[in-house]
Amino acid sequence: MKEKLFERFEVAKPWIGLLARLVLGGVLFVAGYLKVGTPSKSQMAVRAYEMLPVSIANFMGLALPIIEIALGLLLILGAATRLSAIFGGLIMFAFIIAIAQAWARGLSIDCGCFGGGGTIAKEDTRYLPEILRDLGLVMLALYLIRYPVTKFSVDRTPQPAEMEKNDVE
Amino acid sequence: MSNKSKGRDGAPKKDNFTRNLVVVVVVGVMLIMLVPTLLANRTDVSAAVPSSVSVDDGYGIVFNKDLKDVPNIDIYEDFQCPVCADFEEINGKYIEELIAQKKARVVFHILSFLGQNQGSANESAQAANASACAADEGQFLPFHKLLYATQPQENSGTWTPTYLNDLAASIGITSQKFSTCVTGTEYAGWVDNVAAAGAENNVNSTPTVFINGKEIDRETQYFDPAAFKAAVEKG
Repeated sequence: MKEKLFERFEVAKPWIGLLARLVLGGVLFVAGYLKVGTPSKSQMAVRAYEMLPVSIANFMGLALPIIEIALGLLLILGAATRLSAIFGGLIMFAFIIAIAQAWARGLSIDCGCFGGGGTIAKEDTRYLPEILRDLGLVMLALYLIRYPVTKFSVDRTPQPAEMEKNDVE
Repeated sequence: MSNKSKGRDGAPKKDNFTRNLVVVVVVGVMLIMLVPTLLANRTDVSAAVPSSVSVDDGYGIVFNKDLKDVPNIDIYEDFQCPVCADFEEINGKYIEELIAQKKARVVFHILSFLGQNQGSANESAQAANASACAADEGQFLPFHKLLYATQPQENSGTWTPTYLNDLAASIGITSQKFSTCVTGTEYAGWVDNVAAAGAENNVNSTPTVFINGKEIDRETQYFDPAAFKAAVEKG
């Protein structure tokens, strides 16, 4: 029974990986795309977290959307999957920390994840759902870091022998 | 970057050409996009500056610039922001009185982030530009008031140069200079400079009001005329 399940997982693994790639990559791409044309809002969103010095926050406001688009594209295409997943996961982890600290310090801000952002009314904050969503995306990144061989990826698929080695890693 | 992951994936130097090509192209395009974005958001010192603008005051439009020993009020606003319209309705008249009676130095910072919208013209920037053109005519305050009084839905496509010209004409701004200034968005560079200065001053929402450099309390002092007046008088 246990072995059968394992076999099934072996078959499903690259497909789950594909799904993880498309969801994580899709979210990153859309998030970046929605912000890249609105630099002032994006800068405002980063500043509102009150984590970084203003000049660095303003730089991040401009750079983050572009980084998100790039990582999103790499993940959707499945290029350098593991490395892209590492960066994607790190970014999501950083977002979780940023949102959690804003929540803990009692700031009332919009996460600005998909555009918008800045200071908002207290009753409009949605910290918990934002953190849970990003946590889910971190899970997907972790899955891809563990099993980077996925369907329809431009990464070269390793030979079966290599795949085994890869799993043990 | 690609070499490292190649080693980790346990793959020898075999056909990884597509993968490497994709990585190089994506990272390359990212860097090419980043450079102009960073350059575009720097202050352009050569941009045309409307009259009554003070570069030292973050490119704001200043009233009673040389007045000393009076409260200094910095107001950051966006003509498309509905809450700014509320603020104007509640405190606008009082602020205009302060200006007329020389009881305060007032700096208007006209931001334009609300008009930044994927794939459409920036109506906040259009309105900000038009307000600067009105400042050249000595009509900033009446035009400022009129924009809020007739504020349309955000990014509804209402604030075109033609519309803004007609609006200004309704309060008697009819000069050719004004209309050229609006149609040609002559102060586009200034609008960007105001936005950049607002970003440097850590302004994260509109309206944001500083009295003598200190932000007033968002919960209590913005929308209560008595509390706002007290805050100004306290200085």
